[in-house]
Amino acid sequence: MAGKESEYDGVLDSDLVSVYSLKLQDQTTHLSTTANGAAGGLEITCFSELVDDATFHFQIICFPKQIYAWIGCNSTKFGDLYAAASTRPSNTVGVTSILGGSSDNTGSGIARRLVLKTGLNIVLACSIPKNSPMLEANAEKKLMEKLISLGYKQPR
Amino acid sequence: MESLVQRFPVPCKNLSLDINGNKTELVICSYEDHFLVMASQIGTMGTILHARKEEGVAIHPTFNVSVIFGKRDEPMLVACARQLIEHISSSGSSRPLVLSLGLKDHSMETMKGIVSSVIEHRLW
Repeated sequence: MAGKESEYDGVLDSDLVSVYSLKLQDQTTHLSTTANGAAGGLEITCFSELVDDATFHFQIICFPKQIYAWIGCNSTKFGDLYAAASTRPSNTVGVTSILGGSSDNTGSGIARRLVLKTGLNIVLACSIPKNSPMLEANAEKKLMEKLISLGYKQPR
Repeated sequence: MESLVQRFPVPCKNLSLDINGNKTELVICSYEDHFLVMASQIGTMGTILHARKEEGVAIHPTFNVSVIFGKRDEPMLVACARQLIEHISSSGSSRPLVLSLGLKDHSMETMKGIVSSVIEHRLW
């Protein structure tokens, strides 16, 4: 299911994230229990994480070949909406902003890397403020951890 | 049968029901500045629409509904979003709506079923 990663993503995954992962583990606090709404046919995973004084709220809705995710940063605003999917026949990823976020693309990188790592179409709503690469990286890390625990990517 | 996730700061309803003979997954979420409604029969989000109330001084509110992703040639989808945003507005909320419809058919019966089901389980 996981797609081929580019060099950039290799850097992000290995060096940068490993430097911060120790710090994150010390400061990560689970604010609320993970809540799964499964009375309907769709599985909705909602959880919150406190990382480096920022509260992230996550929602993941799992479709068979698509994932909807929402990331809230210190608020429950919907934020900007992005859609990303892998292109054929080349193994690249196309990502577009479909609501808000025309000049800043805070969530588009996250959406793109989610497609690379899961191989599925991604619709991502993200209210992380712009020019905050650390917030982005922390949010993406937490989201990927949850997706891995849900079975969407084989950990290396 | 539905479940309401309460402790998480975004209220969310998730239910499965039959609309015009098709099994439909319905998700309704209430964010601080948006409502999100998803109705899926095909296993994906389908077409995504955005509907909002226009700021204005006219007596009757006007609404802007547009397809932001997916089918742009299916007027029933737009009509569905229009009905829902009008209901949201008449309930006193001026929050815009993000509506995703992944439907097997675009008949009027299906649209009416979706609108009535969403209103029945609304979060506004």
